[in-house]
Amino acid sequence: MALLLDSEQRLKDILDRLVAKSEADYYNPYQLFQWPDSLPEERYWMSPELMSVHGTEVLGELTEEQLHRLSKWESINFYSLNVHGIRELVTEVIARIHTKEFALTSEYFHHIIGEENEHMWFFATFCNKYGGKIYPDLTFKFDQGIQGPASHFLVFARLLLFEEIVDHFNRQMGVDERLDTTIRQVNAIHHQDESRHVAFGRQIVALLHKDLRSRLTPEELGEVERYLKSYLRRSLESLVNPAVFRDAGIPEPYKVRNRVLADPAHAEHNRNILKRTMRFLVNEGILPDESLEDS
Amino acid sequence: MSQSGVDFVVDYLLSKRPDLTEIDLDLDLIENRILDSLGFMNFLYVVEEHTGTEISLEDVTPEDFRTVRSIAKRFFDAVPDLG
Repeated sequence: MALLLDSEQRLKDILDRLVAKSEADYYNPYQLFQWPDSLPEERYWMSPELMSVHGTEVLGELTEEQLHRLSKWESINFYSLNVHGIRELVTEVIARIHTKEFALTSEYFHHIIGEENEHMWFFATFCNKYGGKIYPDLTFKFDQGIQGPASHFLVFARLLLFEEIVDHFNRQMGVDERLDTTIRQVNAIHHQDESRHVAFGRQIVALLHKDLRSRLTPEELGEVERYLKSYLRRSLESLVNPAVFRDAGIPEPYKVRNRVLADPAHAEHNRNILKRTMRFLVNEGILPDESLEDS
Repeated sequence: MSQSGVDFVVDYLLSKRPDLTEIDLDLDLIENRILDSLGFMNFLYVVEEHTGTEISLEDVTPEDFRTVRSIAKRFFDAVPDLG
């Protein structure tokens, strides 16, 4: 990996700090949670402001009881997406650990892999225990995406963007008193660990992109931008799942999904989710603007 | 033959690729990047909505999505017998 030399010492210092923090914050997830047999159904399972229908026309058509039910299944979908996202993350990091190109980051990769394995365990436990299932992964890999010099960058960019979106939810749900203690705890713990992973992700993504800018043509960089925007759109759309509406007992789930996605309030909701992330991407010169549409 | 299913799939794919004016029934959708990993989820939902059947990815292969003809054969009533 052609990390820029003048940045390498800075990255090393950051990695040392993150490793020390990982060691200091280490906990045993298998003993941390109480996992009550059930969680109250007549409450929100997800902060209402974070639900896909927030502010939309569809929201006004749902009763509070329906919203509670929807929040339950949206939270199960959210944790299911975490399980699948983490599987991809761990697979990609394991493919790179202790290779020559990633010698500098291998020590920290051990912590990421260990922590992510534990996150996947508690998210999967939550889904299975309180939802009776994990929603299936709808990522169908029949193409290879962008290959060549951009491949490392795109892998770490995808992982970072996934973590940043998730963290937007964890940050709020970890302190939302309207939610049950178990829900708050799962989100708060994840946020605590993810803030380190996001810090690392931002460093490596910025460095890898700086390197790419010196190696790719403007056309190739444009292709990278289009891919990232498409990935962001897809990630946000995966939070609006027709199976969730169906499980919540809401009729015509596909039509409801289409209405939510087309609602201007949902676009605003998405802008809020991505606010910090887009600022980072634009500041680092990775995206030319904060729009999710192709330039 | 489910011509309406074929038309439906072609119309959807064309709406995602305004640079194209037609899609041959045997055109490789994956190789030509008309259908890719990032666009797949929405395409799946559109097919599910149209057919009224939820599709489990455990029961399908990439080949089922290779061409409009293979999509029609797998998810709609029958294979088109034209072209």
